[in-house]
Amino acid sequence: MGLSLNHFLVLGAMLFCIGLYGAIAKRNAIAVLMGIEIMLNAVNITMVAFSFYNHVNANGVNYSGLLTGQIFAIFIITVAAAEAAVALAMVISIYRKRNTVDVSDIDMMKW
Amino acid sequence: MYQYSGLILFAPLLSFVIIVFGTRVWDMTSRPKKVQITTHDGHNTYEGEGHEQEAHVGAELAYASVPAVTTAAVAHGAQDATAHAEDQAAAAHGANLDDHGEDDDEDPKVAHLSAGAIVSGYVGIGIMLLAAIYSWFLLLSSLSDTAFQKTGAFVWSYDWLKQKGGVGDYTIAFHIDTLGLAMLVVVTTVSLLVHFYSQGYMEDSAGYARFYAYLALFTFSMLVIVFAQNFLVIFIGWELVGLSSYLLIGFWINKKAKPEEQRPSPANAAMQAFVTNRIGDVGFIIGIMILFVNTGTFDFPTLFVKAPQVMSQGLLATAMILVFCGAIGKSAQVPLHVWLPSAMEGPTPVSALIHAATMVAAGVYMVARVFPLFVAAGPVALLTVAWVGGITALFAATIALVQSDFKRVLAFSTISQLGYMFVGLGVSGLGGPETAAIYSTGPGMFHLFTHAFFKALLFLGAGSVLHSLHHATHKEVQDMRLMGGLGPKMPITALTWLIATLSISGFPFLAGFFSKETIIGLTAQRGQWALFIITLGTSGLTAFYMLRAFILAFGGTDGKYGGMWGGTYRGVGNPKESPRTMTIPLLLLAIPSIIAGYWFGFFPYVGAREALDVAGLFTDPLTYVGIAVSLVGLVIAYFMYARLNPARLHTIVENNAALRTLHRIFYNRYYVDEFYNLLIKYGVLGLSHVEQAFDTYIVDGLVNGVARLVTTLGRDIRYTETGRVQSYMIGFFGGVAVLTVVALVLVNFVAK
Repeated sequence: MGLSLNHFLVLGAMLFCIGLYGAIAKRNAIAVLMGIEIMLNAVNITMVAFSFYNHVNANGVNYSGLLTGQIFAIFIITVAAAEAAVALAMVISIYRKRNTVDVSDIDMMKW
Repeated sequence: MYQYSGLILFAPLLSFVIIVFGTRVWDMTSRPKKVQITTHDGHNTYEGEGHEQEAHVGAELAYASVPAVTTAAVAHGAQDATAHAEDQAAAAHGANLDDHGEDDDEDPKVAHLSAGAIVSGYVGIGIMLLAAIYSWFLLLSSLSDTAFQKTGAFVWSYDWLKQKGGVGDYTIAFHIDTLGLAMLVVVTTVSLLVHFYSQGYMEDSAGYARFYAYLALFTFSMLVIVFAQNFLVIFIGWELVGLSSYLLIGFWINKKAKPEEQRPSPANAAMQAFVTNRIGDVGFIIGIMILFVNTGTFDFPTLFVKAPQVMSQGLLATAMILVFCGAIGKSAQVPLHVWLPSAMEGPTPVSALIHAATMVAAGVYMVARVFPLFVAAGPVALLTVAWVGGITALFAATIALVQSDFKRVLAFSTISQLGYMFVGLGVSGLGGPETAAIYSTGPGMFHLFTHAFFKALLFLGAGSVLHSLHHATHKEVQDMRLMGGLGPKMPITALTWLIATLSISGFPFLAGFFSKETIIGLTAQRGQWALFIITLGTSGLTAFYMLRAFILAFGGTDGKYGGMWGGTYRGVGNPKESPRTMTIPLLLLAIPSIIAGYWFGFFPYVGAREALDVAGLFTDPLTYVGIAVSLVGLVIAYFMYARLNPARLHTIVENNAALRTLHRIFYNRYYVDEFYNLLIKYGVLGLSHVEQAFDTYIVDGLVNGVARLVTTLGRDIRYTETGRVQSYMIGFFGGVAVLTVVALVLVNFVAK
């Protein structure tokens, strides 16, 4: 019994849930960011897995040459890098101004 | 030659434009500059509305003559200053104009007309003179032109909106035929004389130039109706007449109502005329629309052929009765007659123009114009026309019997005479197309033709009397009880007035005799005996009230010729004959008032098959009955007013319950005005209150309720906006999770 698509999907789902939990439950802004990164990477795994396994469609046409999933993953990594940079910059800026990185304290934009 | 009659049509428009944009501006700018008003705001400048300008002129006078008032008025706001100025205007001419003493009317006056104003008058008169000469020339040359008499002549047309297939075109088309030409001559002639006469009557009015502009506009409006070749154009003219009559009736905008004389203010009278006419116009336009929807054309000649073919007689009759509603409004027939007595508040030359040649004649002319349609619509439509006319004739004549206001007698007399015209038109059309063709529109139009001259004469004569009394008493006197014995004081006015009185009374061999006897004879000939009795009786009443008015104004019990001429003058001051600008039109109008009836070829000229049978008229015993009734009316009036002491007459009426009640009813005009006031007060205003409540509680309630709901919701839900990113995230992912579950359930259980 080798590796099948389901293994990757379960891995992706588990990683996503871990990331989601981190993003929602953690009070440290850095930890929230890390949770978001984990979620993005869970999606990347799922993308690549789908692309790798589903290369033949119902009509028997082979799509193995098409790297849509992989390209998506690369894009997501790029965007994630940029996002991380911006988010970290914001966290630092907030820390300098308010001396905290606790997201439950950063709630000025309410009613 | 006939095609250039379009020049006549546009001549008054030209003079309107010249006066409004040229000479009137000159007039306004050449007036003396006034004391600076510091609180002056934008709307009160020389470029503003006419009425304000004149209020302003009043203000100038007030400031110029009463310096103490000036400072007081300047201290007030601009509006206050204007109102103040109006109040002060009367006092101002007292100081400013020597010959006007203590005038009580609020019409702003100027000491001397400016050159611009005088030229405005000359422009109006000159252009109307050319138009009148040309229209008389056309009339005279058309008498021998059989080709023209058959078809008329095209004047000008313009395709305003064209539709595919040529059906339902909206065309502005003018043409002239014999019917129009007869009317054209009346309109231009009377209008010219009124223009000329106004030089005297409006001699010191601050609105002199504006008055001439309005007169020209009014004449133009009426000519649009005269030249109209389709319903669209006639409706445009119709509304233009409504507008210009509004402007003219309300000319003395600053004058106030006189409740003790039962007289409304000119502004209200103008409003009343306009609104009452709109009521009739609703019917008119619906009638036009029914015809247009069914036949696809407004064009008269096409309609005459097509309408009877494609429309059932019932539908056509409905349409024509609705069209006649417009004529009821414009020609002041019962029940829409109330505006006409109120319209007496306008300057008297305007009354002459409205009541003789334009406006009220428009209704009769319109019915005559579409006469073939009425004939095709059958007896129901024609009898409606005839009976509305008959009832109006009698109704108005009875009211006129007891009115004490000089002009109001004439107003009701006009209403009554218009009733005659409608009787003539309606009865002439009875009995199918063959019978209808015998007299066609002849009798009705003939009476319109003769009536125009003597009624214009009566009104201008009345204006001459009022003008003279105004100079003598420095007050506006219209009550005949304050006149009397004016005959020797103003002989030209009195004599011409007597001629017109006899003419309208149907005195033999004068103009009114032929036209009126024809209509009365026609009712008998067509077997409409009820209408015959009504018209015959009305002619007696007409003779009575006209001679009564004459004796009350110009004669008296102690006068010469048995009280007909002179006697005690019951007013104050010393009235003199009016200036020549006013007496010349009277003399000129006296001529057609005598001879207009001798155009025996009038019937065939306007398209009837037979001419007026003069020999038959004098061999018919009914004619002598008619003459006898008129003479009885004249004789009764003579004995009651020239021989009997007014005080004695008063006692007789007051001591007889029946006579007293009758007098009250007639004097209060059958309480129709009161009835309409109640109807408006409780009917229209009551409905308005209900609608206002609907608007306040239902419509506004709905709108406000929605707003309140949204506000409450927003106020309560805003607490979910915590400002914490993580709670939003829970919401977002929770939402996605719920949607996923829903989608899975749908795919796996519902879709299967």
